[in-house]
Amino acid sequence: MTLWWYLPLWKTLHIVGMSLLMGVVLAVDLRIFGVARGLPARPLQRLMPWAAAGFAVSLVSGALLVRANPQQYLAAPLNLAFYAKILCLVLVGLNDILYFATGLKREVDGVGAGEAASASAKIVASVSLALWFSVIYLGVTLPFFGVAP
Amino acid sequence: MMGFLAWLESSAFSSWLKESPSLLAYPAVLFLHTVGLVFTAGPSTVISVRLLGAGRGLPLAPLERLFPVIWIGFWISAVSGLLMLAVDATTKLANPLFSLKMIFVAASVALMVLVRRMLKAGAATPEPSRGRWLAFASLICWAGAIAAGRFMAYF
Repeated sequence: MTLWWYLPLWKTLHIVGMSLLMGVVLAVDLRIFGVARGLPARPLQRLMPWAAAGFAVSLVSGALLVRANPQQYLAAPLNLAFYAKILCLVLVGLNDILYFATGLKREVDGVGAGEAASASAKIVASVSLALWFSVIYLGVTLPFFGVAP
Repeated sequence: MMGFLAWLESSAFSSWLKESPSLLAYPAVLFLHTVGLVFTAGPSTVISVRLLGAGRGLPLAPLERLFPVIWIGFWISAVSGLLMLAVDATTKLANPLFSLKMIFVAASVALMVLVRRMLKAGAATPEPSRGRWLAFASLICWAGAIAAGRFMAYF
C-alpha cells in the first residue's frame, strides 16, 4: 500500500474504466439527441455491457482508492463532495432503471438510421448526461472541496 | 527558454490559477481537462471496440460522424492542458513522463486521423485486419496517455 505505484495505478484504471463507460454513454445519449444520426440505436445500445464493464473497473479501482486513503473521502469536510458523488451515482442508477422499466429503452431500440428519438428519450438522456458530468465534476474537484472558503 | 518558463510560472495569471482557493481556478481547469478526455477517449474507445469486433450490427460509415465530438474534446483538453502546463512549466517539462504522455497523445491523434480516413474511404468494406490493428494501437495509446498523466504526479 505504501508502494509508490499503488495510487497512480488505481487512478489510471479509474479513468480508463471511465473512458469506456462514458464512451458508450456519450454515443447512446448523443445519438438520442441526433448526433451521428446515421447510426441505428439498437446495435449502439447493444454496447451497454461494455459500459457496465467500464463501470465495474472504475468502481473497483475507486473502492481501492477510498480504502487506501479513507480520511480523504470520509472525513469532514471533503466527505460532502464524496457523498454527493455517491448520491449522483444512485440517481444515475434510478434513471437507468426508469429507462428500462418504462419500456423507453425498447422504444429507442426502434430508432433506425436517420430517425429521431422521442422527447421522453431526450429527457432521460439529458438527465443521464447531467448526472454523469456531475459525478465527474465531484470526482475531479473532491480534493479541493473544503479547501476553498 | 528556462527564463521564459519561469516568467510564465510567476505571472499574475499563473499564480492566481495555482494559488486561488476558488473552485473556479485550478479545479475548474482540471475538470475541463477531464471533460475533454471523456469526449476524446470515450467515442474513440467505442469506435475501437467496434473495429475489434464488438457490436457488429453497428454500421461503420456513420461512426465517422462522431469525430467532430472527438475533436471538440481534444481542443478542450489541449487548451486546459496548456493552462496547467503554464503554471508548472519547469517541473512538468523536466518530467520524462510528461514527454511520454505527449508522445502517446500525438500517436493517438495520428491513429484517429488514420481511423477516420479508413471509415470515410472504404466505409462499406474496411480492411478488417488493418482496422483491428489501428483500433488496438489506439486503445493502447489512450491508456498509455492516461497512465503517463496519472503517474506524472508521483514520479
